[in-house]
Amino acid sequence: MKILRIFLVILLGASCAYAQGQKEQQLPKGLPPYGPQPPLQAPEVKTSKLDNGLTVWLVSLPGLPKVAMTAAVRGGLAADPKDRPGLAELLADTLNQGTKSRTARQIAEELQGAGGDFQARAGRDGITVSANVLSADTGAALTVLADVLQNATFPASEVTLAKRNLSDTLKQRESRPGFLASRALSKAIFGDNPYSVVAPTQESIQNTTAEELRMQFARRFRPDEAIFVAVGDLDAGKMESLVREKLGSWKSPQMAPADESPRPPGDSPHALFLVPRPGSVQTTLEMGTLAPLAGDADYEAAEVANAIYGGTFSSRLTSNIREDKGYTYSPGSSLETYRQADVLRTQADVRNAVTAPTFNEIVYELNRMATTTPTNDELNKAKRSLLGTQAILLQLRGSVARQLGDNWMLGLPPDQIRMEGEHIEEVTSADVDSAAQKYFPAMRMTIVAVGEEKVIRQAFAPFGIAVQTLP
Amino acid sequence: MKILRVCLFFVCLVAPAARAQKWNPPTAMKKLSNGLTVVLSEDRSAPTIGVCVSYGIGFRLEPEGRTGFAHLFEHMMFEGTPVAPKGVFDRVIEGGGGFNNGDTRYDFTEYIESAPVSALEPILWLEADRMKTLDFSIKNLENQRNVVEEEVRVNVMNQPYGLFFAIDLPGKAFDTYPNAHNFYGDFRDLDATNIGDVQKFFESYYAPNNAVLAIVGDIKIENGFALAEKYFAGVPPRQVPPRPNVSERPQTAERRAEETDKLAQVPALAIGYRMPPHGSQDAIVAAIAGELLHNGDASLLYQSLVKGNQVALSVDGGTNWPLGNPFEYDGPTLMTSFIVYPPNVSEERVIAAYDGAIADLVKNAPSRAALERVATKMRSDRYGELEIPIRRASALSHAVLFDGSFASVYSMPDDLAKVTPQDVKAFAAKYLVRTNRTILNRLPAAAQGPAKQGGAQ
Repeated sequence: MKILRIFLVILLGASCAYAQGQKEQQLPKGLPPYGPQPPLQAPEVKTSKLDNGLTVWLVSLPGLPKVAMTAAVRGGLAADPKDRPGLAELLADTLNQGTKSRTARQIAEELQGAGGDFQARAGRDGITVSANVLSADTGAALTVLADVLQNATFPASEVTLAKRNLSDTLKQRESRPGFLASRALSKAIFGDNPYSVVAPTQESIQNTTAEELRMQFARRFRPDEAIFVAVGDLDAGKMESLVREKLGSWKSPQMAPADESPRPPGDSPHALFLVPRPGSVQTTLEMGTLAPLAGDADYEAAEVANAIYGGTFSSRLTSNIREDKGYTYSPGSSLETYRQADVLRTQADVRNAVTAPTFNEIVYELNRMATTTPTNDELNKAKRSLLGTQAILLQLRGSVARQLGDNWMLGLPPDQIRMEGEHIEEVTSADVDSAAQKYFPAMRMTIVAVGEEKVIRQAFAPFGIAVQTLP
Repeated sequence: MKILRVCLFFVCLVAPAARAQKWNPPTAMKKLSNGLTVVLSEDRSAPTIGVCVSYGIGFRLEPEGRTGFAHLFEHMMFEGTPVAPKGVFDRVIEGGGGFNNGDTRYDFTEYIESAPVSALEPILWLEADRMKTLDFSIKNLENQRNVVEEEVRVNVMNQPYGLFFAIDLPGKAFDTYPNAHNFYGDFRDLDATNIGDVQKFFESYYAPNNAVLAIVGDIKIENGFALAEKYFAGVPPRQVPPRPNVSERPQTAERRAEETDKLAQVPALAIGYRMPPHGSQDAIVAAIAGELLHNGDASLLYQSLVKGNQVALSVDGGTNWPLGNPFEYDGPTLMTSFIVYPPNVSEERVIAAYDGAIADLVKNAPSRAALERVATKMRSDRYGELEIPIRRASALSHAVLFDGSFASVYSMPDDLAKVTPQDVKAFAAKYLVRTNRTILNRLPAAAQGPAKQGGAQ
């Protein structure tokens, strides 16, 4: 129910926005100036490696008596067997359903008693497990997490129940337009590449056995391909001893680790992939294209360009199609980062009648990015917004733990947060121009539209874009 | 009423760790001469701040014939003032490295900003500016009416379940307009809204004496008070209408209804029990009982419905869920359960299992250990919320709005820890009874005969 929770958070949010695209607005008289911008306080990460190969990153942030713990292993959705797409999701769902010495209920209750709960998420590149607990109960919580990471048993009865529920949950997800759009876009962009899979299929759920889950668990949950991160009210030295005590005897198996995904070969098709959804009162539009990898020289320039284009509330896209035209509530763009690929993504849900004019404006804003230089005001605002948002996130223990775990998964170093901040500071107008010229032209975009088929076909007719259906 | 300058100054220092892990960051409150209450909480762990201005008005009190108006009005607060036209607000805050948002709920509307401390003064200036007056532009109202209608489409009309557990359930469970109406708004009412409504609502409710400003983060408490005085003291107080009676006649019989859903493929149930009033001792028990039943994989309903009886895919809910936590309401509210269940399971089987879990609470009371775990989880969740400066600002401002004091924000975990199994048993016997509940069953239209189609929205 994670998605529903997310949309409840945005429910009734005004997510207000407006900015003058090209002509600069005068600031009101009397408005006080900003104070000196505080430098980004990147976390100081104490790194170590246990004898069994487990990478350990610890950050001490005293004050609030909580500790956020994250463990990640390589091998996610992209590492699933070809005939078991989405198996990693079932693996993440059933990981906490029993160990050699604990039942699923005991695991849930012990973590609840430490103030936390068990979270497991299967991404494309790996599986992440986390718990955010009261610091006095760090040891108790780590005992449970360590048990799950080493001794999960995937009891047959629990796997049967999880398969049945995941099958119905998949039907439930398929009734949401956002899920249909994301799944289609991923398939359209990545084609045969393993990154194309975002969810299981009914067939793969039915065919996956408890024995297969145990085998995949043994293959992927291994200390030489894993990281443990803890952030919060902790003493790094004591925490390291605790990690050594609980995870030091974790052993890697003889078999080879999960395969690394291949890099997608080239550009994705410039075509419209139509997903019919009868009864829709809106068209859900998603567009995407391959963008630079985190760590590439032009990554931060692309981030700044994205902030100017659609990544912030006062971006050009939101100002245009929401605050000026009123076509949509929550449009936006983002850079989605994986180990071997990045996607620059635009999305908007719009009432059926304005499908065509919205697409026209998105194309305009993409091409405006690709062909004109942003103003200095836009550039500075985008950079300050990226750095300010990061400063806000870095004071939250859970957020720091998640970023460090994600960075490790991407193959980035522990001080990536600091380096990325510095690179953003250094981005020039010329850098943004060249990144935008390279990645933003509308003709690079793979397009997905979910909604009434007739509405979508009519809306796209004037643009001369080939309409394709997904295999 | 003559407004006196009151100076209430509470500073809570970090308490020594008892058995339960306590955390009380330094916090203080005072009232300006115009009636604006200001709460400050210092947190020097990062160079950022969270600001929240909460007004004592929500959708419960929006006028009849204007459903959805309190929320539409919230959007208008971002549409500029005579001094700072549309666009300035967002540009200044995002350009300062921050972000902002607004939320409308039954009994408050809040405006929040999170930013590096360097943007604090411009943010306070902008909040004070829009507390004085707005632009009241017809063009901007037209624009935001469109945006809000898209918001309703994206969150309600184009989604399976259409938030029926939040919108339709109160509509069936309550009988009077303030508590029963569709808070997101009928399009008829949204379309009928005019700029005069906006002006009147602003003048009635958006007064400093009906608001609480909270600032949390990298600022000394006394400096924060000085800035609040500097920017907000000049906003004139206004007369706010007296709060009407929003109480309901007692419910005497179970209410049941069925809906069809054109977009869903899997059925769902919403169950709502009327809850005790905010601030009562029963309300504390309602808070923990709601979490005991709904919070996470260890919860009683998850264990019973999803695991033991295997009649549900998921269970969510709690007291005053989903539009607030169990402490932030000032009128009738529900404990809501939202249960998605497999198509091959009957509604009656789900309800029978649900009733079994409730009957067990009434007959046997929860174990002391279970209650302690939930209290610990709620303490941890509360600290996790207070860790985030805007969320702390938000919680402090709501507590002051409802109770005149922020003390409950920090004492809540200890109050919950005092609740006994017998308290929960007595609460369940009194409130979690059939005559006090409403059940909505929502079935996919595809599974029905064609004659039943078309009822989803």
